Amino acid sequence: MEYFAGIDIGSTAIKIAIVDGTGRLVGHRVSASGSMFYKYAQESLAQLMAEVGVAPEALRYTVATGYGRKLFKEADENISEITANAIGARAAAQEHGEIKTIINIGGQDSKAISMDSEGNVVNFAMNDRCAAGTGKFLDVVARNLEIGVDELGEYHFKSTGTPLSINSTCAVFAESEIIGLLGNNHRVEEIVSGVHYSIAKRIVKLVKRVGIHEGIYFDGGPALNNGLVNAIENELGKPIFVPAFPQITTSLGAAVLAWESYGYESGEAV
Amino acid sequence: MNARNDHTIETPRERQGRHKAMEAVKVLDTLREYAVNPPEAMAYFYELHRRYHCDMTPMHEGKTKVGTMCIQVPYEVIDALGAAPVRLCNGFYTDDEIGGEYLPSKSCPLVKATVGAFATDHFADTPDLVVTPTTCDQKTKATGIVEEMGYPVYEMEFPRVKESEESREYWRRSVRNFTKTLSKELKTKLTRGKLKASIRKVGYAQTLYHRLNALRKAELPPISGNDMFLVTNAFFFDKTEAWSAAVERLLAEMEERVKEGIGAARKRSPRIVYTGSPPIFPNLKVPQLIEMADAVIVADESCSSNRLFNDMVSVDEWFLYDMVDAVADRYLKGCTCPVFTRNDDRIRRIVELVKEYSADGVVYQAFAGCQVYEMEQRSVLAAMEKEGIPILYLESDYSPSQLGQLTTRVEAFVESLKSRKRRQ
Repeated sequence: MEYFAGIDIGSTAIKIAIVDGTGRLVGHRVSASGSMFYKYAQESLAQLMAEVGVAPEALRYTVATGYGRKLFKEADENISEITANAIGARAAAQEHGEIKTIINIGGQDSKAISMDSEGNVVNFAMNDRCAAGTGKFLDVVARNLEIGVDELGEYHFKSTGTPLSINSTCAVFAESEIIGLLGNNHRVEEIVSGVHYSIAKRIVKLVKRVGIHEGIYFDGGPALNNGLVNAIENELGKPIFVPAFPQITTSLGAAVLAWESYGYESGEAV
Repeated sequence: MNARNDHTIETPRERQGRHKAMEAVKVLDTLREYAVNPPEAMAYFYELHRRYHCDMTPMHEGKTKVGTMCIQVPYEVIDALGAAPVRLCNGFYTDDEIGGEYLPSKSCPLVKATVGAFATDHFADTPDLVVTPTTCDQKTKATGIVEEMGYPVYEMEFPRVKESEESREYWRRSVRNFTKTLSKELKTKLTRGKLKASIRKVGYAQTLYHRLNALRKAELPPISGNDMFLVTNAFFFDKTEAWSAAVERLLAEMEERVKEGIGAARKRSPRIVYTGSPPIFPNLKVPQLIEMADAVIVADESCSSNRLFNDMVSVDEWFLYDMVDAVADRYLKGCTCPVFTRNDDRIRRIVELVKEYSADGVVYQAFAGCQVYEMEQRSVLAAMEKEGIPILYLESDYSPSQLGQLTTRVEAFVESLKSRKRRQ
């Protein structure tokens, strides 16, 4: 059996996906990027291969993506996370139907991608110079509120009052705004829903730049947060599709590309 | 369709409502947070704004609602004919963004916000009839846009020269025609008794305002300028009797405070006269910055506040036609709006306010896109310089995020006033 890997090295997490000779996902792994991207990526790949039972010689082709992609020297190929994300979303949403728009929120950036019906990227917009409204921002918020990141969704749905506006467009200033709200005895629930809406409004502006088309897919770690999903749906006024493993879409895209590339490389028809 | 989420999605209307509620709550919370000795009687106004703007609770059920697009529409006439006047001038950034689709990007946020509310029919009190006087260009041109949206609109012709006898007669005719049309529309006859009662009712509210405002001359003003804007803005939509009753309670509390020497600021806080484009809830951005910077607004010259109450109807003969003309005169002669060719009255009033209220300086805010206020700043700044009154000119809009720059400028101005005070 032949296997193909996609490795997505992000600012916060390393995501690896392995597909088999039919392009089907057989295993995935998410681990912290930490301080030594290259070493941790290698270790994580070895561990995943052991879990899935892939012998080193069976791994035929590897594609690296994400902003640490150049660091992974063993990769056969590098591609940008925009392309990988588009391919991955198409693969992950096969049963769901056509995807036209992707919202991706990562550890330190956010993106909106629009695709044609072939799955080609038509347009994209990125907010990559500022951590406001990213996963890092959610970490900071959770830490200030002394709750876990995984509890944010729960608090969001428990909110009964008007969500509190967070108007600062900078993560650092927003943090002091939140501390101020806490100091004024506001409930954590309304602060959390306010934070989600402030992120949602910002991402919707980004999506509007590329055009909002039905078939909206949301991925990246923060897509695990149901409260944020709810806020984005409300701001868009449209349903969005969140895959079962929103963190690994981009690495899946890289793995699918590895599988396709290998077919072309070895001259087989895929 | 979605394994992870199965919640319902807000309708665009619900989303707009939530956005507006978020804006309103933010302002009310911030005001509470920075309040020095908050008055108990203010609770009515905080709750009123919350109910009206967050819960969208209508105030005039069962009455015909006449929406006014500008301060120049005679309130007394509408009230005397048994309808409810509701001022539609809007301070919401949410509606401003919506209205931006109908107007040029460089137009006034107030007009954009007002049009935005019409575009989405998002009112606590939906107007049955809309009245637009031909005052500033943007409100004049918004008439057609609002009409296209399917609202019944009545335009009142308003002159652009204040002093001439021709204007006076022209405006009186406008008010008479408006009275006749509205009377037909509402199938109600205007009588002497009804108009007299309305003039009295509005006059009483104005008296209360003047008494409350005069207390701000004290060394320690008993009420903050922002609270005062909440009170005056509430007049836009509250029932007049309810408003007057609430202001009576506030007045009693404030009189006590002045006796006891309790204030809404510190003795060292520089005293400011606010003028320019009108602060309309929840857009109290600049007034809030002023008072957060440890200054206190002691008076204002603006159409969302002082100008509503400043001049009363002055009747010679209590006959119906004389009263209608007297109402018309109040609105033209008392108006200090920069739409007029010359506006010496406004400068005179600002200087007067500075002297009467022992103000240390003036803050003049113009909305980006509010041409007449932007243009008039030259003459006002020159006049203040002549009088030796420090003045800060600011341009702003409704967006909530650009506070950084404004904060720095306001704080620097307040600090300069403080050091002037120390030197005196």
